[in-house]
Amino acid sequence: MASIGKVKKERINWKEIKKQKVLLLLSAGYVIYGFIFCYLPLAGWLMAFENYKPKAGFFHSEFIGLGKFRQLFLDDGFIRVIRNTLAMGVINLVTTMVAAIVFAILLNEVKSQGGKKVVQTISYLPHFLSWIIVTGILHDALSGTGIVNDLLVRFHLLMEPLNFFAYPKYFWWIVAFANVWKETGWNAIIYLASITAIDTALYEAAAIDGAGRWARIKYITLPGIKPTIIILLLMNAGNVLNAGFEVQYLLGNGLVQSVSQTIDIYVLKWGISQGDYSLGTAAGIFKSVVSITIILIANEMAKRAGEERLF
Amino acid sequence: MINHRMLHRRKSSLGNKVFVFLNTIFMVLFVIITLYPVWNTLVLAFNDGTDALRGGLYLWPRKWTLQNYITVLHKKNLLVGAYITVARTVIGTLTALAANALLAYIVSRKRFIFKRQLSLFWVITMYVNGGMIPVFLLYKGLGLTNSFLVYIIPGMVGAFNMMVIRTYMVGIPDSLEESAQLDGAGDLVIFTKIISPLCKPVYATIALFCAVGHWNSWFDAMLYNRMNSNLTTLQYELMKLLSSVSNQSNSVESMKNAVAAVTPTSVRSAATILTMLPIVCLYPFLQRYFVTGLTIGGVKG
Amino acid sequence: MRRKQITALLVTGAMVLGTISGCSKGTAATGASSKEDGGIKEFTAFFAVPGDEINDDNEIQQHLAELTGAKVKETWLTGQTAEEAVGTLIAGGEYPDFICGSDGTSQLYDAGALVALDDYIDDYPNIKNFFTKLEWEQLRQADGHIYWIPQFNNSYEKDMQTTHNDEAFWIQTRVLKWAGYPKITTMDEYFDLIERYQEANPTMEDGTKNIPYTILCDDWRYFCLENAPLFLDGYPNDGSCIVDLDTKKVKDYNTTPTAKRYFQKLNEEFKKGIVDPESFTQIYDEYITKLSTGRVLGMIDQWWDFYVHVNDALKQQGLEDQGCNYVPLPITIDKGVKNRWHTSGDTLNVGSGLSITVSCKDVRGALKFVDDLLSEEAITLRNWGEKDVDYLVDQDGLFYRTPEIRMKVSNTAYKASHLCPYSYFPVWTGMSQDGINAAKPELQPNEFLDSLPTNVQECLEAYGCKTYVEMVGENEIPGPWYPIYTFVGTMTTATPGGTAWIKMRELKHEYLPKVVMAPDFEAGWDEYLSAYETCNPQAFLDEVQPEVDRRIKIAEEAAAN
Repeated sequence: MASIGKVKKERINWKEIKKQKVLLLLSAGYVIYGFIFCYLPLAGWLMAFENYKPKAGFFHSEFIGLGKFRQLFLDDGFIRVIRNTLAMGVINLVTTMVAAIVFAILLNEVKSQGGKKVVQTISYLPHFLSWIIVTGILHDALSGTGIVNDLLVRFHLLMEPLNFFAYPKYFWWIVAFANVWKETGWNAIIYLASITAIDTALYEAAAIDGAGRWARIKYITLPGIKPTIIILLLMNAGNVLNAGFEVQYLLGNGLVQSVSQTIDIYVLKWGISQGDYSLGTAAGIFKSVVSITIILIANEMAKRAGEERLF
Repeated sequence: MINHRMLHRRKSSLGNKVFVFLNTIFMVLFVIITLYPVWNTLVLAFNDGTDALRGGLYLWPRKWTLQNYITVLHKKNLLVGAYITVARTVIGTLTALAANALLAYIVSRKRFIFKRQLSLFWVITMYVNGGMIPVFLLYKGLGLTNSFLVYIIPGMVGAFNMMVIRTYMVGIPDSLEESAQLDGAGDLVIFTKIISPLCKPVYATIALFCAVGHWNSWFDAMLYNRMNSNLTTLQYELMKLLSSVSNQSNSVESMKNAVAAVTPTSVRSAATILTMLPIVCLYPFLQRYFVTGLTIGGVKG
Repeated sequence: MRRKQITALLVTGAMVLGTISGCSKGTAATGASSKEDGGIKEFTAFFAVPGDEINDDNEIQQHLAELTGAKVKETWLTGQTAEEAVGTLIAGGEYPDFICGSDGTSQLYDAGALVALDDYIDDYPNIKNFFTKLEWEQLRQADGHIYWIPQFNNSYEKDMQTTHNDEAFWIQTRVLKWAGYPKITTMDEYFDLIERYQEANPTMEDGTKNIPYTILCDDWRYFCLENAPLFLDGYPNDGSCIVDLDTKKVKDYNTTPTAKRYFQKLNEEFKKGIVDPESFTQIYDEYITKLSTGRVLGMIDQWWDFYVHVNDALKQQGLEDQGCNYVPLPITIDKGVKNRWHTSGDTLNVGSGLSITVSCKDVRGALKFVDDLLSEEAITLRNWGEKDVDYLVDQDGLFYRTPEIRMKVSNTAYKASHLCPYSYFPVWTGMSQDGINAAKPELQPNEFLDSLPTNVQECLEAYGCKTYVEMVGENEIPGPWYPIYTFVGTMTTATPGGTAWIKMRELKHEYLPKVVMAPDFEAGWDEYLSAYETCNPQAFLDEVQPEVDRRIKIAEEAAAN
C-alpha cells in the first residue's frame, strides 16, 4: 500500500538525533554485530592475493598481488563458466519469479479454503527434497526410455527418442525447469503473504464498480505486491552469479560440460581440490564485486522509476 | 440500468466459470507434477533396497518393506541429534525473528536519518563472504566453536529475511505510527504493540524460513562441532548415514572401500521422508497467520 | 490464553535444553585429549573418506577395548571433499588423535600436523613386522621421516585373492555359454561375440531388449571409457600412464595406435547400435540400474564399482539362472600380447595411510593400540567377528558361515551395533596368523565357492578355473614404481605437470564421447588429438618420470644394504 503522507527529508541536526536516540542506539548494536560477523571475516580476502597455505596462515603465505586474478581471467575456461553462470542465473531468475508470482495469484483466486491449503502445502514439498533426488528423477524422466520421450514419440512429435542430456542447447532450459519444479511453491510463499496484506475493502469496492477478475488482478493484486516483487527482484539480481553448483554438477556430463560448468564447479575443480584456496577466494571476490555492482545499478534504476528500493 | 447490470452479471458469470474451470485444471496439473517427486520418494522409501536397484518404480512400491526406516532410525545418536535440532529450531527461530523484525522496523521508519546507510550496510552482507576458513577462525576466536551458541548467534540477522519484513512494514500506513506518537508512545512500544501485530503474515513467513533453515542444517554442526557428539544435529546424523561417493578421489583404495558404504537410494528416500514430516506438520500452525486483509479496523483516511 | 502458555512452555523448555547442551561443551571429548574411562583409554580418529559410524555401545568394540585397553571414536568424511575437510582442520589447528588424510595427506604433511613415527616403530613388533625393510624405506618422506602407515593390501603369508577386484572387460556367462565357452583373447573377438549373441538373442526371457555394451563415464568413473588402451597393450594398472617394463620410461597411452584402434572400434560398434547410446549421459545410479536388470551383455569396469549392488539384485530377481552374472576376460589388442589385467601380490600405497597427529597427548598409547590391533585375536575379531556368533569353527579349525550368519552380518543395524572392523587401521589381509584360515571371510576358499552363483561355477569350470583371478591370469608386480597412480594422485596445479594432468582430464571428458559418436571418425580423432596437444601432456610425462626413477633407486639402494 502506498504511504499516505509525503516523505519529509530529515535534517541531521542535534535535535533530530536526540529524538531518534532509541533507533540510533539499537542501530549501533546491529552495526557492531554486523561488523563482527559479516565484515570482519572479509579480512580473509587477503588469501586471494597470496599463495595461501594453511600451515603458513594469512600473514606468512607468499604475497603474489593480482597473480590469482590474472590466472583466472587469462583462462578461457573461466570466462566460459562466467558466461554459463550468468546465463543460467538470468534464466533461472526470470522463470522462477514469473512462475512463483503466477502461481501465487492463481492460487489466491481459488475460492475453496480447504483446497487452497492442500494445494499450497503440496506445492512447497519439493523444496525439501535434496537435489540428488530431484535430478535423479529428472534424469530418469528425460532419458531415452523415460516418460517424456515416451509421450513425445506417442504423440508423433518426435520420430525417435531424443537424449536431451547429450545436447548443450537443452541444458540451460532443463536446469531452469528443475528450479521451477522444485522451488515455485516455496518461492510463492512470500507473494502469498504479501497478497494477504492487501486491504479486502479495495476488492469489494472494485467489485461494486464492476471490475472483472482480470481487472482486479491487474489493478489491485499486482500493484499490491509490486513492492515485494521489486525488492525480491533486486535481491535476487545480485545473486545471479550464484546460479548454483549442485544442479549443474549432478545433471552435467562430458558432452555438455562447456555449457554446464558454473563458477562454483570451476572453483571446486581448480581451487579446493588442488589445495588452492587462494583461487577460490579470488573467484569469490570477483562474484561479490559483480553482485554489488548489479545491486547498485539496479537500485538506482528502481529509484529513478519511482519504485521501491533496497536502500 | 437493471438490464445493464443483469447483462453484466451474466457475462461475468460465464467468464468466471471458464476461469474457475481452467484454474482448477491448472491447479490439479500443478499438484500432480509437484507432488510426483515427493510421492516417488515415498514409494522408494517403502520399497526394498535391492529391488529398488532395478528401477521402474513410479507410483507404488513393488516390494513393500519398513526396513529402510529401521535402518535410518537405529542410529543411537539420532535421538541426540533430534534433541539439539528441536532446541535450535525453537530458540533460533524466535531469536532470529525478533532480531530481524526489530532491524526491519528501524530501517522502515521514514524519519530515521540513517536508514539508507543502514540498509546498504546490511544488503552488502548478502553478497560478500570471507570464506570458510576465515569464518571458522573468527568463530574459534569468539569461542563459538564446540558450543551450541554457534547455531544461534551468527545466524540471527539475515539481510534477506530482514528486507522482506521491511518491505511489508513499509506498506503499513504512517497514520498508525503518527497517532501512537501523539499518544506519547516510544519506538519500542510502537514496534511491539502497533506494528508487530499487523505483521503476522510476514512474521509467519520468516519464521517458517528460519525454522526450515535450522531444521535442515548440518554443515555448521560438521564444521564447528564435529568432535562433540552431544551437539550433533538431526540432519548431520542423517547426512553421515547417506554417504555417497560423489567426489573424485585419487586413491583407488578409498574408492574400493567407500563404494561398499554407499547407501542405497531407498534408505536415502526414507531419511528424506522422515525429515520432511515434522515440517509438514508445522505448517498448519502457521497457516492461520496467512489471513486475508489487514485487520486495521477503521483507519482509513 | 492456553496457546500462550503452551508457547511459553515450549520456549522455556527449548531454552533449558539449549543451555544444558551449551554447558556440555565443557565435558565434551575434544580431539586434543585422550581420556581415560574406567581404565580404558579413549582416542579420536578422523578418516577423510566416506564410511559408516558405529554405535557408541558397539559390542565388539567393547571386546577389543578389553583386549587392548583402548577404544577409538571414528568419524568419517561427509558432504565435503577430503581437501576441504583437511584444510579446515589445519586452519583450526586442532586435530583428532588419529587421522587418515586420503587426498589431503600431503596438506597435513606440509602443515606439520603429523608425528614422525620412525623412532617409535622398533618398540612395536607387530607394526614393525607389518612391512619389510624396503617398504619402510619407501615410506620415508623428503625429510627422511615416516609419517603414515598404509593400512591395506598387505598379505600375511600369501595372497588369497579369489576375485579379480580390478578392471577388466566383463561379459555375462550366458553369452559365453551360448557360444560354447570359446577362448576370447582380443578386443575384436570380444565385440564380435557380443554382436553375434545380440543378433541371435536380442531380448531377455521376458522380452525386454538387451543392451549389448554400455560405458560409464560419469565424473571420475570415466576410467571405464578412457584407460582401456593401457591394458589393451598389455601393461599393468599404472592407471594414468604407461611405464614401459623394459626401458622404465613413461609413455602416454592416450595417443598410441592402440588407442586409436580402440576408439575406432567403439565408433564402429556405436554406429551398429551395439554401444548403448545413453552411455555418455547416464549417471552412476542409472548405470547400476541397467546392470541390475541383467540386460547388459558386457562392459569395462572395476569389480568393486558394481558387484556390491548388482550381484544382490541379480540374485533377488532370479536372474542368476539366466546367466546374467559377469566374469572377466583376458583381453588385449592382438593375439600374442600378454595381458596384465591382474597383478598379484601387495602393492604399497605410499601416498596415504594412518597417522598420529600432533594433538595426540599419548603417542605411545596410540601406537600400542595400533600394535595390538594387528594381533591374531584382534584381527579375527575385526574381520570375522565373534566366535559362534558371527562364524563357526569346524573340526579342522576352519571357519565357516551359515546362510543365516551371512544375512545377519550384512544387516546395517547389526553392523553398527555389533561389528567393529576398525577398517581404516592397519590390517592384515591374506592368511590369518593361525595358519589355517584366511584373514577375511571373503578370502576363505570354501566360503568363496559356497557363495558363487551356479552359472559362474559352471563357467569357471568350463575354462578350467577355480577363481575369477584364474580367468585373467596372474602376474607379479612389474617393478618398485608400481602403481604410479599413487603419485599422480598427489599432483596438483601447483606444478605444470599437475596442471597438464587436470587439463587432459577435462578435455578427455568432453572429446572422447564425441569421438565415439563422431559420424566421421578420422576427422573426429584428429580434432581430438589437436585439442589434446594444447594441454601440454609432455609436461605431465616429464613430471612422472623422475618419480618412477626415484622409486626404482630407493629399491635398489635398500636391496644393496
